[in-house]
Amino acid sequence: MDSGSANILFDAQVKRLGEAHSLILYWCSSAEGRSLKYNLTNCFDDLKSAGITRTKQTAIAAVEALATLCFVDLKDEGNRKNIYITRHGAKALEYLVKNSLFHSKPSSFLEDVSS
Amino acid sequence: MTIGIGGAGSKIAAKLDNQAILINVSETEMSKVDGGSRRILPTMFAAKGQLRGSRKNPQIGLDAYHSVQRELQELIRGNFVFCSTGGGTGNGITSGILNDLASQEDVSLTDKTCFGIILPYAKLESNEFVDNTIAFLTGPLSDAIDSGNTGNIFLINNKKKFVEKISEEHYNQMIVDSLNVFLSIPDKNDRLPLLDGHIDHEDFTSFMSKPYFNYFTYFNYNPSAPFEKQLDANLNDLLLPPDSAIEALFLVEVPKGGDPTIFYDILQYFSTKNVAPIYSVVENPEVNAPFVTVSLLYSRKPAELVDDFNHISEEHVKAKVNKTLNQNVSLVKLNVNMEDEAKRAVKQKGDSDDILATLRRIGKL
Repeated sequence: MDSGSANILFDAQVKRLGEAHSLILYWCSSAEGRSLKYNLTNCFDDLKSAGITRTKQTAIAAVEALATLCFVDLKDEGNRKNIYITRHGAKALEYLVKNSLFHSKPSSFLEDVSS
Repeated sequence: MTIGIGGAGSKIAAKLDNQAILINVSETEMSKVDGGSRRILPTMFAAKGQLRGSRKNPQIGLDAYHSVQRELQELIRGNFVFCSTGGGTGNGITSGILNDLASQEDVSLTDKTCFGIILPYAKLESNEFVDNTIAFLTGPLSDAIDSGNTGNIFLINNKKKFVEKISEEHYNQMIVDSLNVFLSIPDKNDRLPLLDGHIDHEDFTSFMSKPYFNYFTYFNYNPSAPFEKQLDANLNDLLLPPDSAIEALFLVEVPKGGDPTIFYDILQYFSTKNVAPIYSVVENPEVNAPFVTVSLLYSRKPAELVDDFNHISEEHVKAKVNKTLNQNVSLVKLNVNMEDEAKRAVKQKGDSDDILATLRRIGKL
């Protein structure tokens, strides 16, 4: 695949991201920026408190979709599945921010840690 | 009998009535008032003994009132009390009297107390005077009026004194002379030949016992000109201007051989205002032209008065703050937690831009 096609594919993938996906990218980036581990349970709690989903399955599905697109890495650490943003995920988030396609919402996990 | 409370009240009471009872917490100030008969010095002890003034603090006057409460409750019955609202003594002691009146079940017509209340000219007098006045008007005075247990209340206005730069002695004499014109109405009815109507002492006492504000004025009456215009043109600027009259009283004095029917136009004027006044017409050989003394009882003005005072009081506060800022600014040490402030700033700024910076910092962009 040449770089032009790759870019087209990347744009198409990013445009298909929903609010849950972009928030997960944002929250896991913020956590990593503060040297915190952001796991699947934190992700579910945040999506739930943001009013986006009430089921853990949906949260897991959103994270797995991001992992499939290589936008996040899921790592089993201890008994937790921690989420790390990849370089592609960072580019995706940058695209969303710059094109005003993303509005942040607070993460109760990150707020609890800071207070 | 007249009772003067505090410095300003005592000076007017003593001029009006040489049998006046004068009350003041400051013996020195009281000794400087000529006239009057009995003098009462309420007990007012502080840690260092009897105070020599009330520091413009009505609470001190109110505390002092309790030492003379029973005596004053008896003395004020059916009498005329003068006080000012600005200082501590007149305001504090009169507040005590008014509070007691407000809590009484019923006061008989002959026991009603009239009040002559001297209001500060807010523009030029101290803002403590204005604040004390507002508290007095909205508190004790309002409650006492609502109870219906006071007689007429005369709101004496200090504005003319300050605007025209009149000495206190002279201004007090003007107030007393003016009050004497009004208060002499029943005596004139006794003494002079009656041409129409009648206001005897009982009628006058009844009128004075009504719990309203009393505004009166007097002037040479021209029967060929509308009474309303003459009334407006001859405002008694020693008193606060009146609101719509609820009740009225007037006396017309005509010269010897004068027309005794000129009062009908005045009655007609009051009829258009839905007021049925008490009146009388007398023949007075001492006057060269018809002379009318008219009194209006009204009730609405205090609310507007308080509004005016509130407005001016706020202006005083603003001026004080500005003056303080211009003279001396001392900054309070602020203990700022930089971490909290940074977090707050981040929250306020918006997170989108920050996340890109974070991604660059962690090497993902």
